[in-house]
Amino acid sequence: MSALDVTSLSVGFGDRQVLRGVSFDVGAGETVVLFGPSGVGKTVMLRAIAGLEPRARGRIVLNGRDVSAAPPEARRIGMAFQNFALYPHMTAFENVASPLNAQGIAAPAMGERVRALARLLKIDHVLEHLPRQLSNGQKQRTALARALVGEPDLVLFDDPLRNVDAKLRYEMRIELPRLLARRATPSLYVTQDFREAMAIGERVAVLVEGGIAQLASGAEVYERPATLAVARLFGDPPMNLVPAQAEARGGGVLVRAAGLGFGFATEMPDDPIFGIRPEGLVLHRDSGPGRTAAKILAVTPASEQYVVLARTEGGIELLLSRETPPPSEGTEVWIGAARGSGALFDRTSGLCMSNAPVMEEAVA
Amino acid sequence: MAGKAARSLAKVLVVLFFMFPIFWILVMSFQTNGEILSLPPKLVFTPTLLNYASLLVGHLKTSVGMLTITFMRNVMNSFILSAGSVALALVLGVPAAYAFARFKFRFSEDIAFTLLSLKFAPALLVVLPVALEFQQIGLDNTYVGLIWIYQLITLPLILWIVRSYFEDVSPDIEYAYRVDGHSWLGGFVKIAIPLAGPGIAAAGLLAFIFAWNDFIFALVLASGPKQPVTVGALAFVTASGIQYGQIAAAVVLSIIPTFAIALYAQRWLVEGLSLGAVKG
Amino acid sequence: MNDAVATAGKLAPETFRAPRNRLPYLLSLPALFVCIWILVPFFTAVWYSLEHYNMSFPAGRSFAWFANYIDLFTDPAFWHTVAVSLIYVGGSVAFELMLGLGIAMLLRERTLINNAIAVALLLPLMVAPVIASLIWKLMTNPDFGVYAWMASELGFRHFRWASDPSTAMFTVVLIDIWVNTPFIMILLLAGLRSLPSQPFEAAALDDVPGYLVFWRITLPMLMPYILTATLFRMLLALQEFAIVYGMTQGGPGNALMVFQVDAYNEFYQNMNVGRSAAVLVILWAITFVLSKLFVNQWYRLRARNRGEI
Repeated sequence: MSALDVTSLSVGFGDRQVLRGVSFDVGAGETVVLFGPSGVGKTVMLRAIAGLEPRARGRIVLNGRDVSAAPPEARRIGMAFQNFALYPHMTAFENVASPLNAQGIAAPAMGERVRALARLLKIDHVLEHLPRQLSNGQKQRTALARALVGEPDLVLFDDPLRNVDAKLRYEMRIELPRLLARRATPSLYVTQDFREAMAIGERVAVLVEGGIAQLASGAEVYERPATLAVARLFGDPPMNLVPAQAEARGGGVLVRAAGLGFGFATEMPDDPIFGIRPEGLVLHRDSGPGRTAAKILAVTPASEQYVVLARTEGGIELLLSRETPPPSEGTEVWIGAARGSGALFDRTSGLCMSNAPVMEEAVA
Repeated sequence: MAGKAARSLAKVLVVLFFMFPIFWILVMSFQTNGEILSLPPKLVFTPTLLNYASLLVGHLKTSVGMLTITFMRNVMNSFILSAGSVALALVLGVPAAYAFARFKFRFSEDIAFTLLSLKFAPALLVVLPVALEFQQIGLDNTYVGLIWIYQLITLPLILWIVRSYFEDVSPDIEYAYRVDGHSWLGGFVKIAIPLAGPGIAAAGLLAFIFAWNDFIFALVLASGPKQPVTVGALAFVTASGIQYGQIAAAVVLSIIPTFAIALYAQRWLVEGLSLGAVKG
Repeated sequence: MNDAVATAGKLAPETFRAPRNRLPYLLSLPALFVCIWILVPFFTAVWYSLEHYNMSFPAGRSFAWFANYIDLFTDPAFWHTVAVSLIYVGGSVAFELMLGLGIAMLLRERTLINNAIAVALLLPLMVAPVIASLIWKLMTNPDFGVYAWMASELGFRHFRWASDPSTAMFTVVLIDIWVNTPFIMILLLAGLRSLPSQPFEAAALDDVPGYLVFWRITLPMLMPYILTATLFRMLLALQEFAIVYGMTQGGPGNALMVFQVDAYNEFYQNMNVGRSAAVLVILWAITFVLSKLFVNQWYRLRARNRGEI
């Protein structure tokens, strides 16, 4: 039995349909990440599941209980809000203890549980402070403690690390999954950061224009995006997407883009777009089969890699990334694709036709 | 240089103009009739507490006998009416203000505007028919009837000011409280109201001041034993045998409560006076 | 491979609908009830205005369409009331605005003295208007009033304040100014102190003369506050009753016969309910328009203060 089962969830505001009949599930003890650009409806979805969205339609089943009509207080959910939503007139202790209060737990046991969790989240020394006396990091951890302390059936995280400094964000990306795994608490985690999505969740649901475009493990979504939208969103620097020419060849499709050629064993797309990740392109000094001429326009040293912007002779701009320092700007180079890199999309349907090129050749 | 002196002079003149009448009536309240009636007006004299004493005790020995003064009853009436109408307005208005702030439902704007425009409507337009009706249903000259009608003064104020405060409280905080497992009512009582507390207090105090200072409603709807100080003080002037010192003392007693509130709640007065548009 | 659930455009049939929230209606029901309850006398009054209804002659009560209104509009006494009311409103609000603005500019800096003065100036506003009238009545009493005495010392022998038709309006307007200038002052002071400092700093750097700073920078930025305060005062001054009634009940003669005093006298002295109601309805119509203007202005002021635009 899954911890959360959402069926046909729809939310509309006036004439705008934010969510259209979305369905998915979260398994017992699993963390599913809701990923998508801002404004797409991730928070709306979370609120609908929490029971805070009166305009929601659809069925929500938690641990086998149908809570679609239940008010938030009856759903046994914990929620960590983006802006913390701590009670300003109560101490951190009282904030965290609030769910236990609602459950009617006696004071001694309540104190025990609050302090144990506070120790785990390293806020036990500030429990007597008011929220305004806490740092952002402490506020967020207090909000997390409050969401977890009642041992709810499901925990909802609304981009909790957005308003928190980089160091804490990095720490939490490691600690949070560990914490959740230890308690085996099923969770739904919202984020706009794809790296966070890959780090935290067992599965990632990519939300695009009112629906889930792909629901799979983070690695899967990264390496084999199901649609153009997913490919664009999931990756930084973003995947190169280049208009291509395609012709049928031997039961498959031969695609030419940016001076390179690839074969795909799939149907002919309507409006072909060729996609390849920056780390799938390689810089060479000399020409050779499967390489195209280009000029380096700019080099950006990013944190774990170098990002190169180059322009092919055909005028197409490509992003490449690599770990070692590249040649300097203005250098004439040859660009080839790493083996197995490349994807074929159809712009009309937005779908990915194939993620696995079967052959490569150079195009004169 | 000259500019600074001119500003200081201007400030002195302004303060004089606005403070002098209050100062003067205070002086008068400590003077005997003889001292009051003498010209030029006396500033140096031995103050007497007789005026206040006679008001508090309720009678005055005059040359023509014992005069009964019921001004203290007026003061009590003012308290009952003002406090009562504010209390009722809070009970009716705070939940409504919450509803208007949190739920933008149809009619919310219309109701709010209607209440406000009724407050701005000529008082007699509402009060004269009510006076006729009250006579028929026996609510004439009763505390209940007056407190009911006073809602026209207090309710719109509470509604508009408190609504503004509720709107400033982030709804997420109440949502979090409900997700924790508390009912909506728990959230309203334990979260919304405490966080809007200062606004509710400000609105209540301001409403008290307006209710206390009202004249026209009381004039039409109250007579004799139910009259508040506004009507009572005026009646004083026309009563026979009343001495000016007592009138002055009565005036001072009438304005002490509102003065006290103003000094205590001055921080919120700007907010209240602008009906919540301007925050301190 | 992919657990892709491509749902774009495909709407599943509704399986559940959350119950409609009745809470807001429940919460505002009592207030709504009061609202409606107050509307009843309002409509009753309108009805009266359409009747020949005189309490001293109950048998003659009959429906009269707009007879009362026609009577009023053709009666010079009514137009006198209109004139008197407009003079009252114009005089008091104009002076209150200028004085209030001037004092607010004086007290603009946040010093201890300025703040103390601002608090002290609140007090006249806390005095019930009828009591203020009473205070001034005592102070202008020809026999012992200190103001009467001052006036004669300054050479104004026989200045009769409110007892003389020619000076009665001056007197009540003065009382109104005394009571209500603090209202405008406190609102404008809050506005002045909340103005951003950059434009003024820039003007100082450019050596812009004081009066230009006032007209071109201060005044325009203060407009929302000025408009709100002015409309509010106009609304209330049009309906002024307590100050006038407290002083002279409309006299001497009918020198101070403003709208509500007129209506009051019609009702209680002439017993003419119909005519009294008609006067009030006309007054209401004017204040209704003004109150709509006021509410719009109020929203603009609030939005400005919240940083929205």
